[in-house]
Amino acid sequence: MIARTISSVLALTLGLGAANADELIIGSQIPLTGGLARVGVGMNEGIQVAAKVFNETHGQHTIKVITIDDESQPAKAVAAIEKLHSQGALAFTGGYGSNIIGPASDAAERLGKVYMTSGGVATELSHRGLKTFFRIVNAAGYAKAVAGLGDALDLQSFSLIYSTRESTQEVAKLLEEMWTAQGKKVTMHPFDPSIADFKPVLHKIKLQDRPDAIAMVGYENDYVGIIRAAKVLKPDVKAILGTWSLATPKMWQDFPDLVNYTYGTATLSYPAQFSTAEEQTFAEAYKEMFDKEPDYLGTFGYVQGLLLFNAVAEAYDAGTLDSGGVQDALRKAEHNTLIGKVIFDESGDNTNFAHRMAQHQDGSIAIVWPKENATSEAKFPAVPW
Amino acid sequence: MFDLVAQSVFSGLLAGAYYALIALGLALVFGTMRIINLAHGELVLLAGYIAYTAESRFGLDPLAALPAAILIVALTSVIIYLLLTKIRIDREINSLILTFGIAIMLTNGILMIWSADIRSTGSSWYLDAIIIGDTLFAMNTEILFAVIGVLVVAAVWWWLSKSWYGRALRAVSSNRDAAKLMGIDPRTTEILSFAVAGILASIAGLALYSGKVIEPSLGHALTIKAFIITVLAGMGSVPGVLIGAVLIGVAESLTATLWSSALQGLVSMLLFLIVLLVMPSGLFGRTRRRG
Repeated sequence: MIARTISSVLALTLGLGAANADELIIGSQIPLTGGLARVGVGMNEGIQVAAKVFNETHGQHTIKVITIDDESQPAKAVAAIEKLHSQGALAFTGGYGSNIIGPASDAAERLGKVYMTSGGVATELSHRGLKTFFRIVNAAGYAKAVAGLGDALDLQSFSLIYSTRESTQEVAKLLEEMWTAQGKKVTMHPFDPSIADFKPVLHKIKLQDRPDAIAMVGYENDYVGIIRAAKVLKPDVKAILGTWSLATPKMWQDFPDLVNYTYGTATLSYPAQFSTAEEQTFAEAYKEMFDKEPDYLGTFGYVQGLLLFNAVAEAYDAGTLDSGGVQDALRKAEHNTLIGKVIFDESGDNTNFAHRMAQHQDGSIAIVWPKENATSEAKFPAVPW
Repeated sequence: MFDLVAQSVFSGLLAGAYYALIALGLALVFGTMRIINLAHGELVLLAGYIAYTAESRFGLDPLAALPAAILIVALTSVIIYLLLTKIRIDREINSLILTFGIAIMLTNGILMIWSADIRSTGSSWYLDAIIIGDTLFAMNTEILFAVIGVLVVAAVWWWLSKSWYGRALRAVSSNRDAAKLMGIDPRTTEILSFAVAGILASIAGLALYSGKVIEPSLGHALTIKAFIITVLAGMGSVPGVLIGAVLIGVAESLTATLWSSALQGLVSMLLFLIVLLVMPSGLFGRTRRRG
């Protein structure tokens, strides 16, 4: 109670000094250890780059990001939000996993502060009537991209292998609905996230399904297991499609023999072709801070971070931090970002989110869908074996 | 359908031998000292990361990392034992808490050293397909470590039942004071037990790295799998570990083939519960105690 009072007074005091250059505190609750550490670390890199770029370019205020590791646990995520609030955070970002983002963003709502993420795609997250919840990605955007590529390649039947985690299941169900509505044949193969041997599943696909393509909704370890099993059993398919975490430079670097000619969602081609000034600024800052090319996690972390920082700075200048100024700033305009226009609706969802599809092509990653963003033609039919 | 079921049983047998490798170290310590080492999965994982380092940094075959893995993992295992000896009261309960804490420390240590990225062997030989009779498919690594798994189970069984140190270990487990009167140093035999568990974890870690994907958070799941197999087998039963592991491997694989791979975890847990309901001492626990 005392901490809340003090932080409210501080916030009001800060609000009064709108014309001054000030340090604005943003809380980042993010998994840096535990099961989601890898994706959390990637997103955190993007947020740190966003803070650096903001601080170098805004000209007036600076952002200080206080980061707390939620250890991939919902209860610790809630505790992190409360602690960040007590440390004077004006808004929150970070978050990975719909089951973690849910309670963390609930806590942010109770505190009346904006929570911005790119780490949860479950539809129910934006159907809770929260006023302070925002996210730049959603399940529909991923599903549209995979389905769009399926249309472009004229694939008629799919074996859909998906993890039973909440977010992967949701994308898989959307894909099933889309393809079934188009009269395409879809066979669903859910799998427990703990399994590592996919040969029994792939054998069923080879002997019973006989699809045009295998579609996967999972994570890197799942993709490695599935494609390894596919390389052993060699089902007669024309393409292997994935969602997030597949069409990345890291996957090519670590598993070149497995991922060649596979497709996945991507924000950037590789080697990245940065055409705009913002893209170049982002890539250079990323390289300087982490000595590597940005990936999709870093890109999303950057976009969510920068959107929030700008909105907080705008509300701070307007003296509306305590009267919903941050959420108003986020909702009122279209935001041009690295992932295209971001438009938030009343539920905090980015209604304009539509991903791109890329293909691993002998060491490069080419955007192959949609056509207007394509950097290369898809190599089709082609599989890693 | 025959092809599907045959492949499924074959995959299940191979998975079972791999599971046995993972569980054996935990079963040894549990059976001989009544200590559940909740850091066992992390020891397996540590060996996997040592193999990764050997391969990625020095260009070595993952199997060539075995001596280094044994040295580091067995030493870590012995350190865990030395920490456990500091527990003076309620050893069985407090050892759970201590080893759980060590597991968290090891997980975070691995995370700091090797980062959160997934790792697996890049050596193509391990991942190349073996096709038997145009019906059964496996990777070289699965066959290799299935054979090693069976041999290791046999070697541990022989060591415990025939060698002097193995018998000494069983004697200490059975009655520590009586064993002392017979001239056995309980501390030495218990250290040996943890060192052997570390060696077994090292072999399991190489199997893990060369056939699956490793990541820092995996240790917990490995420990749970090893614990289920150990309890299923019956305390102290080495052959039971192999049979229990194969049962779980085949049950999981058939579940994926005949129903859904989403139910694999559920089915193995149901099997575990049913066996415990019908045979509370596990598959071979009662027989073992009488022997």
